[in-house]
Amino acid sequence: MNIWLAPLIVGIVSSVLSALIVIVDSIVNNYGEVEIDINNGKKKLKVKGGSPLLFTLASENIFVPSACGGRGSCGACKVKVLSDVGEYLPTELPYMSEEEIKENIRLSCQIKVKKDIKIQLPEELFNVKKLTGKVVSIKDVTHDIKEVRIKLPEEINFKAGQYVQIVVPPYDKIKQPTQRAYSIASTPSKKDEIDLLIRLVPGGIATTYVHNYLKEGDNLEVIGPFGEFYMRDTDADMICVAGGSGMAPIKSIVLDMYERGITNRNVWYFFGARTEKDLFYVELFKDLEKKWSNFHFIPALSEPMEPEKWNGEVGLITDVMVKYLENVVDKNTKKEGYLCGSPGMINACEKLLNEHGIKDVYYDKFA
Amino acid sequence: MKMSPEMIKAQENMKPGVITAEGFLGEDDRNLVDIILQDEQEMAALKLDFDKVAQKLKKLLEVGEKGLGEPITYENFEIFVYEARGFLACPFEDGIFRKKVAVVKNLKNNETIMYSDLSIHLLEKHHFLQGKGSKFRLDPEKIKKVLFD
Repeated sequence: MNIWLAPLIVGIVSSVLSALIVIVDSIVNNYGEVEIDINNGKKKLKVKGGSPLLFTLASENIFVPSACGGRGSCGACKVKVLSDVGEYLPTELPYMSEEEIKENIRLSCQIKVKKDIKIQLPEELFNVKKLTGKVVSIKDVTHDIKEVRIKLPEEINFKAGQYVQIVVPPYDKIKQPTQRAYSIASTPSKKDEIDLLIRLVPGGIATTYVHNYLKEGDNLEVIGPFGEFYMRDTDADMICVAGGSGMAPIKSIVLDMYERGITNRNVWYFFGARTEKDLFYVELFKDLEKKWSNFHFIPALSEPMEPEKWNGEVGLITDVMVKYLENVVDKNTKKEGYLCGSPGMINACEKLLNEHGIKDVYYDKFA
Repeated sequence: MKMSPEMIKAQENMKPGVITAEGFLGEDDRNLVDIILQDEQEMAALKLDFDKVAQKLKKLLEVGEKGLGEPITYENFEIFVYEARGFLACPFEDGIFRKKVAVVKNLKNNETIMYSDLSIHLLEKHHFLQGKGSKFRLDPEKIKKVLFD
């Protein structure tokens, strides 16, 4: 009898304590209905208070870009707050410049909506959609890059160069959904289907899922479009530089220009890879060169496996770009830089472009 | 071994979903002090010095960055450094680090290690090589094979 009594008492006490915690939590954390005023009254949302701003906005179908899905580790979900939401949290400060702190820019995944709040958002975020697409094909374009084609249930309007976030569901030991940003590789003329280029990175949660778990026919949640990386509407020559899966937005931009007949501008596309097996879409761009006299595709290998058979450029893409800027490209025209790749590659390219008098440089710096 | 409040907090921060999705402990269910002590003994037995290992790891990461996101060959190593957007906080709460990852392969024996800026800090400052089964564990045996064989 006594054997059962102790566990029974512990069970009852635990249940009572659990119920008490739930009741206290609902009282203490019940902020009731609060108002989010966006862009000085342009949009007013009545929402349940208490959750982080990022998720509260998402529940109202307004998606602020976030590369980590709200874990406070990417610093991407910055929002200008026009009302008082309290002191900066230690989790926000590492991501903020002095300028941003003066402007009261906050990390929307870290600040909670506990009372009425006024915020400012770029208008284009109102066009961002969250859609469940279907994976219609997965192709290996190199040994470590896959081209994933996703059929969308409705059309999206995006500018060539922009990106989407995919939501990777929990799998294997990963217990929570993960969001990652990938540039769209297809052209905006295809509104209900997008291609993404995804390179396997060792230890990468999302890329491991795409390479080892995702199958044709699977559903995949897509949020977008996002991003400030797109062709500027000028007559300047374009110096495009990419490496690996950084190919995606440049491919979209270049093919979109050709589709729309914007062929008066000189486009120099420098694509860096390590060996022959890391090159892809070479035929596509070589064909385009034949049809479009102002388009120049320059693939370069840093470590060719068969140097005697490789008749293209050899060296780091930054060195090849400089060689062309100094010896081949017309020095007397206005130029813009368009970059996509690792942060290291972008930093190096931007510095070199600046040194060569090219100040208008555009990029989305994410791996 | 008894855990200090700081160690208890650090071990909490190492669980999956706190700082990183997979955490820092892998399948290791020992307490943090025991993990560190055993790795210190293993490092000593293999005559590996934490500071020297950290210096070597930093050097290889620095060289690998010159590949601009592509793998690069340096001496008898193949190094691939990639960087993702954002930062990672140290579970001991003494700094934040860029998400910079190096994959280093010793071309003589094909042994590979993977580590980040944060891994170097954890090894150098806290003698924490991550739990067994963690993707980013720097196992002493493996360190020796990759860096010093």
